[in-house]
Amino acid sequence: MRLTRRLAALAARFERRDAILFTGVAGLITASLVALAFLGEPLSAGLGSQVLRQSIFVALGAAAYLALSRLSYRVWWSLSWTTYALAIILLLAVLVFGVERGGSQRWFLLGEIQFQPSEFAKIALIVTLARFYTRSPLALTTLRGHLLAGLITAPLVLLVLRQPDLGSAMLLLGIWQGIALAAGVAWRRLVIPPLFTLALSPVIWLVMYPYMRERILSFFDPGFDPLGSGYNVLQARIAIGSGGLWGRGFSESSQTVLEFLRVRETDFIFAVIAEQAGLIGATALLAMFGLVILYCLLVSLSAQDSFGGLIAAGVMLIFVFQVVINVGMNAGVVPVTGLTLPLVSAGGSSVLALLAGLGLVTSVSHYREPSYIQSRPRPAIGDVIE
Amino acid sequence: MSQNPGRTDQRARDLTTRRKLILGAAAGGAGALLVARMWQLQIFQHEDLALEAEANRTRVEEVPPVRGMVFDASGRRLADNVPVFDFWLDSTDVDIESLPDLVESTAATIEADPGELFRTLERAILNGFGEIEIARNLDRNSALAVRENTFRWPGIELRPRYRREYFDGPAMGQVVGFTGPIPAESRDAYLDRGVSLAEEVGLSGIEMRFQDELRGTSGRRLLEVGALKQDIRELHYTAPVTGANIHLTIDTPFQSGITAILERFLSPGGAGVVIVLDPRNGNVLALVDYPTFDNSSFAAGISDDEFQGLIADPRHPLINHAISGLYPPGSTFKIVAAAAALGEGVVNAETPFQCAGHLILPSGWIFHDWLANGHGTVDLHRAIAESCNVYFYKISGGDPYAGFSGVRDKSLARYARDFGFGRATGIDLPHESVGTVPDRTWKQTALGAPWVTGDTYQAAIGQGFVQVNPLQLANMYAAIGNGGTLYRPRLVTHLTNSNGATIRRIESEAIGQLPVTGAHLALIRHALDDAVQGINGTGFRARTGTVRFAAKTGTAEYAGRRDENGNLPSHSWFAGYAPHEDPEIAFAVLIRDGGEGSHTAALVARDVLEFHFGGKVPPLRYPTLAAIRAEVQA
Repeated sequence: MRLTRRLAALAARFERRDAILFTGVAGLITASLVALAFLGEPLSAGLGSQVLRQSIFVALGAAAYLALSRLSYRVWWSLSWTTYALAIILLLAVLVFGVERGGSQRWFLLGEIQFQPSEFAKIALIVTLARFYTRSPLALTTLRGHLLAGLITAPLVLLVLRQPDLGSAMLLLGIWQGIALAAGVAWRRLVIPPLFTLALSPVIWLVMYPYMRERILSFFDPGFDPLGSGYNVLQARIAIGSGGLWGRGFSESSQTVLEFLRVRETDFIFAVIAEQAGLIGATALLAMFGLVILYCLLVSLSAQDSFGGLIAAGVMLIFVFQVVINVGMNAGVVPVTGLTLPLVSAGGSSVLALLAGLGLVTSVSHYREPSYIQSRPRPAIGDVIE
Repeated sequence: MSQNPGRTDQRARDLTTRRKLILGAAAGGAGALLVARMWQLQIFQHEDLALEAEANRTRVEEVPPVRGMVFDASGRRLADNVPVFDFWLDSTDVDIESLPDLVESTAATIEADPGELFRTLERAILNGFGEIEIARNLDRNSALAVRENTFRWPGIELRPRYRREYFDGPAMGQVVGFTGPIPAESRDAYLDRGVSLAEEVGLSGIEMRFQDELRGTSGRRLLEVGALKQDIRELHYTAPVTGANIHLTIDTPFQSGITAILERFLSPGGAGVVIVLDPRNGNVLALVDYPTFDNSSFAAGISDDEFQGLIADPRHPLINHAISGLYPPGSTFKIVAAAAALGEGVVNAETPFQCAGHLILPSGWIFHDWLANGHGTVDLHRAIAESCNVYFYKISGGDPYAGFSGVRDKSLARYARDFGFGRATGIDLPHESVGTVPDRTWKQTALGAPWVTGDTYQAAIGQGFVQVNPLQLANMYAAIGNGGTLYRPRLVTHLTNSNGATIRRIESEAIGQLPVTGAHLALIRHALDDAVQGINGTGFRARTGTVRFAAKTGTAEYAGRRDENGNLPSHSWFAGYAPHEDPEIAFAVLIRDGGEGSHTAALVARDVLEFHFGGKVPPLRYPTLAAIRAEVQA
C-alpha cells in the first residue's frame, strides 16, 4: 500500500513527461514515414503516394492533438454520450455507404482518402466507459453494473464484427475489460465475461466467418495453408529472422523488396522494419512504444479525477493491445487478427484517432485544478448488493 | 463499507493505482517477452531464417551440358548432337473452341494425324493435364513453321534440346550403343550423380560405359526470383562443361567390310561374330556381331514395329554376342589342355598316344573322335593340327587302361583361368559375360553332382560345361600370337575435351601372362601353323596366298534340337592369328548355330585376312552353301 502511494506520488511529481511522449511519438512517426516512403509510391505520385497520405493525416493528427490537449478533457464528461451516439451512427453508415476492400466494409471513401470510423469508435468508447465507471458506483460494486458497461460496449462490437473486423471487435472488448480493471471492478466480477465467452467458444466458432477460423487455424499451424493464410506468418518470421542484429538495410531486404512479405504497409510493417533494421531497430521501435505507454500510465496515475485517469488508461490500453497483438502476430506468437501497429502502420484514420486520443491524455496531464467531476451520491448501505 | 468518504476515497484511489500499476507491469512484461522473441528470431534463429530468405529469393536452374562425341580410329564421327525442338503445349491455356483451328495449323507441320492430335489435345484440355509434349525432335524449319502457325495461341513452347545423332549405325551401332530416358530402376542412382530426369543417358555400348565422361558437367544458373516466382535477374552463372569425346580403336570401314563378309557367308536367319584384335597391344580392330541394330533408329525415336522386330528376333540383335554371348569353345580350347599337359610335365612333344576313333571308359561311356577311324598314333603336334579328340581325352582325364592319369580337372581349370577364361576381359563395354571354367568344386557347387572322368574329357575339347565369350577366345589367340602376353582388349584409346585436347589416355594393359614356357609355346604355334598349312590340317579351307597364318577350327555341339540325322546343333569356330611370324592381328570367328561345320567360319576368316592384308574386301570366290541350296531348290 505504501509502495503504491509512493509510486503514485512519484508519477505526479514527474514534470517532464511531455518530453517522453514527444520522443516516443516522433520516433514512431519517423519510422513509419521512412518505411512507407521506402515501400510505396514516391511523393511525386501525389495522393497516390502512401507516405504523402500518411503525412497529411499525421499533420491533421498533430492539429487534433494540439486542440484536444489545450481543451479541458472535462468537456467530454458531458459530451461522452454524444460521441458514443456519433460512433454508432458512423458505424451504421459505413455498413451502408462504406466501400469494400479485401472482403471487409470498413471505410468511407472521400476521393483518394479513406476514413475508418472504427478507429474513432475506440476513443468514443474510452470516453463513454470512463464516464460510466466514474459516475455509477454500482458499476464498481455490482456485477449488474459491470455487465451494463458491457452492454454499452456491445453495439459497437457487433457493428464492427458486421464489417467484418475481428481485430477491432476484440480490441473494443479489451478496452471495456481494461478500463473496468483500472477502475477497480473486483476480480471475481471481472473474470465472469471472459469465462462466459470461453464457455460459449464452440458456438462462437460456428458463427465465425470462415476467414477468422482460417486465421486461428493457421496460427496454431503455420504450415496449415502455406500459400494462404499461413503464408504471411511464415514470411514475416523469415523476414524478422533474416534481419539479424543490425538488419539488412533497405535494398538488401529481399523478403520486403521482392514482396515475399505481403500487406507490408499495414499488418506486417513491423516485419519490414525488423528485416531492414534488425534487432536494434525492432527493440528501438518497441522502446518508443514503451515511452508512449509509460506516459499514459504516468498521466493516469496522477490524474486529478477518476474520469481523466480512466481516459489515460484507455488510450494506454489501445497501444498495449495493438502493439502486443501486432508485433506478436509478426513474430508468430499471436494469431493474425488484422490489428495494425499504432502510429506506424499505414492508415490515416488510425493515426488521426490515436493522436487525438493522446491529445486527451495530455489534457488530463495538464488540467490539474481540482475536479468538479463527482460520482453520484453513494447509495445507502442497504442498497448495496454485496 | 466505511462511513468515512475521505478514507473511502483514499482506498479507492489506492485500488485504481494498484490496478493501473498491474496494467503497466503486464504491458512491460509483454514488451519484455516480445523483445525476447525478437532476440530468439533475430539472433538464435538468424542463420536458419536467413537461409530460408535466401532460398525464397533464389532459384537454381540446371544448365545441361552438351554430350561428348564418339570417334572411330580415323577420327570419323560416330556420335554427335543435332539441335532439335520439342513442341510443348500448356493445355490450360487453350480453350476447346479454338482447338480445331490449332490442330489444323499444326498437324501438317509436325506430320501428325489431325484426328488423333485432336483427340489427344481434347483429352489433355478436358482433364487439365497441364503441360504436354505434342511433338519431339522437330528440326529448325519445322519448329519455325510451328511458331509461325501458332503465334495466336499462348502456352505454346518450343523447347530447344540436343538430340543424339549417330553415323555408320549398321556397322558401329552395337559398339557405340544409344541413349534414352533414364530407366525407372536406376533413377535414384542417376539423380545422385546430378543427372536431371529430363536427360537421356547411355543405355548400351560406349554410350553406357562412358555415360559419366560423355555427359560432362552441368552448369548452374542462380536466379533471383520474386514472390510470384518470376525471374528478376541472374546472380551467378557457371557454364556447363561439355562431355568428353571418346576415341575408339576400331576403324569404321574395316568393321563395315567385315560385317559385309560375315553377312554374305551366312544363310538366311544365320548369325555370327567376328572379332579382330591387335595381338601386340590388345587393340580391338573389329567387333562384329551379326545381326545387329542401327542406333540411329533409337536416336530418332524408334518405331514400335522396328522395336518389336528387334525384340522378337530369336537371334537377339540387341545383345552384343561378341562379349555377352556364351558358347562352348570346342576344339579351339584344346590349346589350353595342350599347354596344361606340357606345363605339368604329363607329356612332352614326342609322347605318343593311340587314337582309335573313340575311347571307352570302364564305366561303359563312349567318347568319340570326330574322325570315325581315328588318327592312329599321334603326338602333340599332330593332335593339334589334326584336332585329335582322343589325344586330348587321354592327356587331360588320363588313360584308364595304361595307368596314365593326365592333368586332371583342377590343373586344367587353373590353366584355363590363366588363359583368360572364367573372368571378364575388362573391355570397355557393359554387359560382358564371364563364362564358366568347370572343375570338381564348381560342379559340386553349381550342380551338386560329383565330377567324373568324362567331364574332364569334355572340358579338354571345349565341350560340356565350358562356356566362353568370343572375345575371351580371340584374346587367348592374341596372347599365343604375341608370345604369351594377355592384354586387356582395348576399345578406347583416349578421351578428348571439346577443344580436342587429350584429357585421358587409356594405355594398353597386360592383364596376364600365359603359363607356358617359350619352348612349349613354340611347339603350340608350330602346330597351329600346320593346322592351316599342313597336309591334314583342319583349317585348310582358310588357306590364302595373301598371308601365312596359324589358326584352329572348332565345332562346338550344344544341347539343342537335333537335326534329321540325330546330330546335336553346333556352333562353328575359327580362331587364330596372322601372319604366323610376328602376328599383326588375332581373330575369332563364330558362326552361331552354324550347321555347316567349320567351313563357313574358316571361309569368313580367310576373307577377313585377305581384307586386312590385301586392303579390300575380296570378291566372293564361289557360291556359299546357302546360295547353292537356294539354286538347287529353284
